[in-house]
Amino acid sequence: MPDFEFDSGEASMTSLQPIPMVRVRTFTTPHVLEMVQGPDAPRTFELTGDRLIVGRAVTCDIRVPLGEMSRQHMRLDRHQGGFRAVDLDSSNGLYLNEIRVKSAVLRDNDVLQLGDVAFVYHEGTT
Amino acid sequence: MSFLVRFWGVRGSIPTPGRTTKRIGGNTSCVDVRWGDELFICDAGTGIRELGSELMASAAGPLTAHFFFSHMHWDHIQGFPFFTPVYLPQNTFHVHSPVRGDDAFHKLLSGQMESRYFPVAFRDLSAKILPQDMDGTRKEIAGVRVTCFEQRHPGTSWAWSFERDGVKVVYATDNEIDLTLPDPAAVERDPQQFRRVPPGFVQFCRDADLLIADGQYSDAEYPKKVGWGHTRATTLVDLAIAADVKQLALFHHDPLRGDADVDAMVSVCRERAARFGHGTFIFAAREGLELRIDGRR
Repeated sequence: MPDFEFDSGEASMTSLQPIPMVRVRTFTTPHVLEMVQGPDAPRTFELTGDRLIVGRAVTCDIRVPLGEMSRQHMRLDRHQGGFRAVDLDSSNGLYLNEIRVKSAVLRDNDVLQLGDVAFVYHEGTT
Repeated sequence: MSFLVRFWGVRGSIPTPGRTTKRIGGNTSCVDVRWGDELFICDAGTGIRELGSELMASAAGPLTAHFFFSHMHWDHIQGFPFFTPVYLPQNTFHVHSPVRGDDAFHKLLSGQMESRYFPVAFRDLSAKILPQDMDGTRKEIAGVRVTCFEQRHPGTSWAWSFERDGVKVVYATDNEIDLTLPDPAAVERDPQQFRRVPPGFVQFCRDADLLIADGQYSDAEYPKKVGWGHTRATTLVDLAIAADVKQLALFHHDPLRGDADVDAMVSVCRERAARFGHGTFIFAAREGLELRIDGRR
């Protein structure tokens, strides 16, 4: 007889019990627009709601009172759990990562430029 | 008025969903080009499914659209059976083909929906799907001049140009321009030297306000992929310079290329354009991007 026992692993396998279903807590963070260039930058804006307007007008959800910004410059529409940015026929255009766009589905760390103002889009978890 | 161009699928060869391709996107080729109410759809890769969803959500009545395929390889047609508007009887789709007979695009498109490949037969699609011959290389549709150009690709492929009121958009994917160069080996000897693309294709792309083109390979990758039907991105830059293109969208990204790799490819191309002193704006096509293309003023 050998003076040791061969551990086939079977004992530990059969002793395993299934883990009961547990309630998993989910952590969510909001989508955020971070102004990295513009008045009082850096500033952050949490994107709540399904539609937001960015522009110079006092009625805008995110108001930036600068001359190169159109009164209503950009709209943010909720889209598939994130946001899509839409140029509202602004005078100076909407640029996404240097590309002039009519609209764009936003991804994490995209840079949006509206006149002299620049925002970084931070994708939250939903 | 302007052309509106939307990118629904920008990937080459095979869909590549995943974390590394999230920003650029993993769906295969599909781009739509609009002038007013006229809708032109370039290719029906997997990206077209999302276009279909958008059209279903926004269409107020019957829909009419024109299909322009580069060719019939899988990555350019595999989304077609999932394009929901073709299942509605009030809709009409024109499938334009520069090739007739058994190789006409309408006929080939139906082949992938035979029962051995797909449960719904092409003939059972409710929409009117009509074959249209090009009758040469150009035609006019609602005032938009549409022109096609035969490219270098296994089994051949076609580039399409859309022009109206001095505004021009060119869709030219799956084209191995490198094989059409007068001396392809010269690129190996001196990659820095300007490459002279044959004048016919330069003329086809001449003064495009937007050129969407396949630049799938880097200089390092291409020698191992000769004959696969795709070109060096750097050769595309030289084409854009020769044709005085305003904006160049790198398209048909290699499935192995993650977002950061695509960014690096754009940087290489921009540096090359700058070295030759040309102001072509170069960027990577990505899903969910919509561009308004105006003429040069």
